[in-house]
Amino acid sequence: MYLKSFVFIGIGIGGALLLSSFFGLFGERVDFNTQVKPLLNKNCIACHGGVKKAGGFSVLFRHEAVAPTKSGKPAIIPGDADASEMIRRLTLEDHTERMPLEAAPLKPDDIALLRKWIDQGADWGDHWAYTRIEKPDVPAIGTFWSRLGLRNNAELDWAKNDIDHFTLQKMKEQSLLPSPQADRATLLRRVSLDLTGLPPTEQEVADFSNDKSSGAYEKVVDRLLASPAYGERWTALWLDLARYADSKGYEKDTERKIWRYRDWVINAFNQDKPYDQFVVEQLAGDLLPNRTDAQLIATGFHRNTMTNDEGGTQDEEFRTAAVIDRVSTTWDVFQGTTFACVQCHSHPYDPFTHEEYYKYLAFFNNTRDEDVQSDTPTLRFFKDQDSVRVAELKTWLIAQKTQPEQVQDWVNFVRLTEPKINSHDFDQYVNASLLDAKNFGVQDGGSARIKTVNLTGINRLVIAIGTKAEKAVLTVHQDSPTGPSLLTIPVINTGGKDTVMVYALPQVTGKHALYLTLASPKQLKEWVVIKWVSFRPALPGTSATTLSDMDAKLQAILNAKPESTPVLVEATGDMARKTHIFERGNWLVKGRQVQPDVPKSLPPLPTDSTGKPVPRNRLGLAKWMVQRDHPLTARVAVNRFWEQLFGTGLVETVEDMGTQGIQPTHRELLDYLAAEFMDTDHWSMKRLLKRIVTSATYRQQSVASPELIAEDPFNTWLARGPRVRLTAEQVRDQALAVSGLLSHKRLGPSVKPIQPEGIWQSPYNGESWQLSEGEDQYRRAIYTYWKRTAPYPSMTTFDSPSREFCQVRRIRTNTPLQALVTLNDPVFIESAQSLATLMQQRGKTPEQQIKAGFRQVTQRDASPQKMAVLLKLYQQSATYYEQHPADTQTFLGGANATPQVAALTVTANTLLNLDETITKE
Amino acid sequence: MKKLLDELQQAALQRETRRHFLHTCSTGLGAMALGSFLESCGFAGGASDKKAVQAPVTGSSDESPMAVQPAQFSGKAKRVIYIHMAGSPSQLELFDYKPELVKYNGKDCPQELLTGKKFAFIRGVPKMLGPQGKFAQHGQSGAWVSDYLPHLQGVVDDITFLKAMHTDQFNHAPAQLLMHTGSARLGRPSIGSWVTYGLGSENDNLPGYIVLASGGKQPDAGKSVWGSGFLPSVYQGVQCRTDGDPVLYASDPAGMPRSLRGKTIEAISAINQQQYNDVKDPEILTRIAQYELAYRMQMSVPDSMDIKSEPQYILDMYGVDPNQGSFARNCLLARRLVERGVRFVQLFDWGWDTHGTSADGSIDVGLHDKCRQSDQAVAALLRDLKQRGLLDDTLVVWGGEFGRTPMQENRDGQTLPFMGRDHHLDAFTVWMAGGGVKKGFSFGETDDIGYYGVKDQVHVHDLQATILHLLGFDHEKLTYQFQGRPFRLTDVAGKVVKPILA
Repeated sequence: MYLKSFVFIGIGIGGALLLSSFFGLFGERVDFNTQVKPLLNKNCIACHGGVKKAGGFSVLFRHEAVAPTKSGKPAIIPGDADASEMIRRLTLEDHTERMPLEAAPLKPDDIALLRKWIDQGADWGDHWAYTRIEKPDVPAIGTFWSRLGLRNNAELDWAKNDIDHFTLQKMKEQSLLPSPQADRATLLRRVSLDLTGLPPTEQEVADFSNDKSSGAYEKVVDRLLASPAYGERWTALWLDLARYADSKGYEKDTERKIWRYRDWVINAFNQDKPYDQFVVEQLAGDLLPNRTDAQLIATGFHRNTMTNDEGGTQDEEFRTAAVIDRVSTTWDVFQGTTFACVQCHSHPYDPFTHEEYYKYLAFFNNTRDEDVQSDTPTLRFFKDQDSVRVAELKTWLIAQKTQPEQVQDWVNFVRLTEPKINSHDFDQYVNASLLDAKNFGVQDGGSARIKTVNLTGINRLVIAIGTKAEKAVLTVHQDSPTGPSLLTIPVINTGGKDTVMVYALPQVTGKHALYLTLASPKQLKEWVVIKWVSFRPALPGTSATTLSDMDAKLQAILNAKPESTPVLVEATGDMARKTHIFERGNWLVKGRQVQPDVPKSLPPLPTDSTGKPVPRNRLGLAKWMVQRDHPLTARVAVNRFWEQLFGTGLVETVEDMGTQGIQPTHRELLDYLAAEFMDTDHWSMKRLLKRIVTSATYRQQSVASPELIAEDPFNTWLARGPRVRLTAEQVRDQALAVSGLLSHKRLGPSVKPIQPEGIWQSPYNGESWQLSEGEDQYRRAIYTYWKRTAPYPSMTTFDSPSREFCQVRRIRTNTPLQALVTLNDPVFIESAQSLATLMQQRGKTPEQQIKAGFRQVTQRDASPQKMAVLLKLYQQSATYYEQHPADTQTFLGGANATPQVAALTVTANTLLNLDETITKE
Repeated sequence: MKKLLDELQQAALQRETRRHFLHTCSTGLGAMALGSFLESCGFAGGASDKKAVQAPVTGSSDESPMAVQPAQFSGKAKRVIYIHMAGSPSQLELFDYKPELVKYNGKDCPQELLTGKKFAFIRGVPKMLGPQGKFAQHGQSGAWVSDYLPHLQGVVDDITFLKAMHTDQFNHAPAQLLMHTGSARLGRPSIGSWVTYGLGSENDNLPGYIVLASGGKQPDAGKSVWGSGFLPSVYQGVQCRTDGDPVLYASDPAGMPRSLRGKTIEAISAINQQQYNDVKDPEILTRIAQYELAYRMQMSVPDSMDIKSEPQYILDMYGVDPNQGSFARNCLLARRLVERGVRFVQLFDWGWDTHGTSADGSIDVGLHDKCRQSDQAVAALLRDLKQRGLLDDTLVVWGGEFGRTPMQENRDGQTLPFMGRDHHLDAFTVWMAGGGVKKGFSFGETDDIGYYGVKDQVHVHDLQATILHLLGFDHEKLTYQFQGRPFRLTDVAGKVVKPILA
């Protein structure tokens, strides 16, 4: 037996020796992703990659790396390092040929590694984030006996759910021990701020502290997740990603009413709309079958791109900029991949080619918005008489036994005013001009062309037109400016405003160029301005040749000016856009035409439930993104939620999971959470959050020993709880909440709370900051009006981005300007005054009052030392204000202006500025 | 073995990624003010990409993000005053003398100047417009300056004129963004942010990068022209206002005396110190330091902004009414600020967009007014800096975002009530003085009508490269890692204009 196995081992060893000498297998296999790829990225890829392929050699893809180079032979010959030019060039003495050029040579160890890798076959590996998400095994913790329940074990006692098994394993690898659970008040404050963005009330703290039942914490979590404040808190995060703003950006930066999209996000979070649906509706809600208004409003996500109204700017340039922004934002937000560089050249590090960028862009390049000043298309919300008219129109259509699709088409037309041709698309101007580079204007004797219109089945011209001229006449000609006249329109002097008019067109078939000519003999130089035209069939049941009452009704509806919100509308038929590659990213230099598709290094477009391929449009793309096989979507989502709770993501670079991003600290945990998010929780964000916040890892105290801080300064290994400064929104909301000022009014148009004079000074924009009235001054921060070129100052001081573009991650800073905000901003002074009044009501002595105030703000009792500091400040302040009654009056105003209240206000101001107040502990 | 290798790779990657440095210290950035985390943040590694030429910095104990940093090499300029005339003054009325253009005055613009060109407002065939200023040569250097700028005529021997500047953008907002951030799109850091990121600030009690605006409006591109883009927000320009608080929220609430504010700061710090003793989070120490700095700034900012302490002859020299916000006052403030160690002072003056659509926006009326309001102060600023010995290491830059056409604007084909010129991207003048540029020098020439540069053209990115060079930076090496690649002010272009270096 012994002998037998000895012989067997001997043969084994001999065989292995033989094999290893044969295959060059000294030691274990080289791992491409962790060992080779970083070397290539650092030393080679700048010249031999997505941007440049010097010598015809690239190490971005395997097929490129092993292909013949300019010299005619491959630089890497799998299995034969000695014959590989790459190795030869790395090891040369001659500086003119040795690689990397003009840089230090690679270390011998690195070269040996590359040599070994080539000898082993030069296998490529997929970057971890591009591989399918599989649920990893949950690491075992505790001892064998304790797992059987036969012995107590600290690990098992500590862990609350599977998350803790993963974190504990990493802690053990680092020889760290987990921290105990935070005290109840601190934990409640943490989880309340995290889930609802607001601190708990005193009553909530008392309830939780007194609830001795085993599920007390879970009950709290459920209550918070069910609170309407939950949606508001997570919307604050989402608005950065959606680059939401109440203005259009660029020079003029005038108002855009798109708050209905913000409300959609709040409602979606509160209803716990599954994340996959949340994604699909925002990217492609307009394309869903039987879409609702809400699903259309959701597409506002990508209507938050900027619109440039500056005089002289070309609409097509900025339409293109908006489409490119949609591509970048989609990747940043949902795919955690930096895709912007692929606009100009293939990705330098990650497996995406230049052509794939434009194939992907093609999904987004087919919407009807065209950087027009009106932000059209917008979804219009009719009221009063207008909504009656719309209802009558619908009733009429149904009474004519119109097909449901056709009814929908007419409803779409009045609600979206699409499809239409914006007048910036006219060409062949004579005595005409694109006024201010925006709208088509024509003078007497002038003309322009509408390139092609399919007139088959068309009986109506709908035109938005206006002038100050008297007796101008516009004629529509077929095929040439002197061709057959189809229609002659007397243009009404509208005082310059545009009016929508409906005219009957004679029956013509086929596609034609149409020419618009103007005769304006009374006022030769007065402009007639056309904003858009639309060619439509006659309303069902009306005469093709003569206008009826229904046409008048239609015209009235189209001229209504109801509230509206920008949405995506897909172009169809002749209006569908073609997408070309832009050479070197320049939109003016168009290369080959491309069809919509997804990058090859990711799974292909899926099939739907009936086995048919999904459509090659935004809806198909959105479904692709949320299919189970997609490697990025769920990982990116759970990583973002983790980052929001812990301050740092499991992949720290939330915006980049590619090869240039920071490697995950807990890759298995990330995959576990992503798999559970999809498979078990069915994309429920609330369940994901509950899973995380009920873990022991999350519940740990953030207090740490100097030793632990020295060992793990940034809490990478999660051996303590998160301790992170509040966000800009939370800083404001908390101050208003603890001082009793916060309004809980939800949803609706954005509001303008108090802001210093002179912040808004946009050129050519008459808008001003009109202070909101009543409780609207005290709404949560997400309702504050957001102007891109002049955002609300205290928000940006606390690191809010300006929302010109999507910013995936806010970099937290700690600056003196932040101190000035919480010390002196009138919002915080008013909060201090209000808090002082509360404090006064809650105690008889200054000591009692300050204690109450401290508890009100921090949800815990002040230590005697802190009380001593605050009492001293109170006394000093009270003494000052007793001696200076005029200052007391100035400081407080109003009836309650006593030295005591003034001193309490100073104390309250101090409380609102404590580190422990503006920090989640 | 594999695990060890992984860790090594990862450690190397993190060291190289300043982004990581910024984030890990973003518990954070401020933490460096106390210095205890420099080593562990990989500050040395992180810093190396902004000072690629320089040996890694050792973690000195007072390192804050705004701490003074050595440049990559020794630059002649230590600070910058950048005067941006927003809207863009007409070079043809001020500096770029074109006697030939007189002959064409009132004639139709030749078709070859229009073919393939796009203008913001000119449509059809406009008329040519001769220079409206009376030109003469001035100083030892014989620089051409028109009678629009009588005061500047006296200081031309300190100035280098760049007469063949050109840009890519003919609309205000994108052209201003290109001028200040190197990109016509929003989202990049401004030049002042790059400079303070590279050099830090010499005054702990003042922001390192201060913006002063006059003319009643912000520049067209808004605050983005002094934004920090993807750089941390500590590097964004701080606008000091001429009305209300000079820095937002710098004033204590009415009825709260300084003494009491001092006591509240003391109380906040004392409690924070106790909190630090309990929880040991170094971020708390940073916060204590920042509150104390805020308290000092409350004094130092109004103090630097208060020009009442200036002697009358200085006020007269600049032509300043101390009770009124104005461009002239901002020039004087700029001197006071650089004197106090502010690294980058950015002046914006709005109202130079002279299309001819109104009296204010015309070259026959409005441009005269703008020149009258600014000429004396700009000349005084140069003289004042010089007499204090500050001009040698202070770079002053003056210019708009683009130039103006030799054609008279005919907006939408109409004859306009006043004389005006449209936006022009192919030729304009920018001038620089002090801080390592030649004195009394003119560089670049345009054609006979000032339409195109024909010799020594300087692109916006070249100007930026030159400014950074004068401050001691190789513009290709002052970089910041973002979205997976290093970014820089000059994008992928820019050449230092060596002939203008002193």
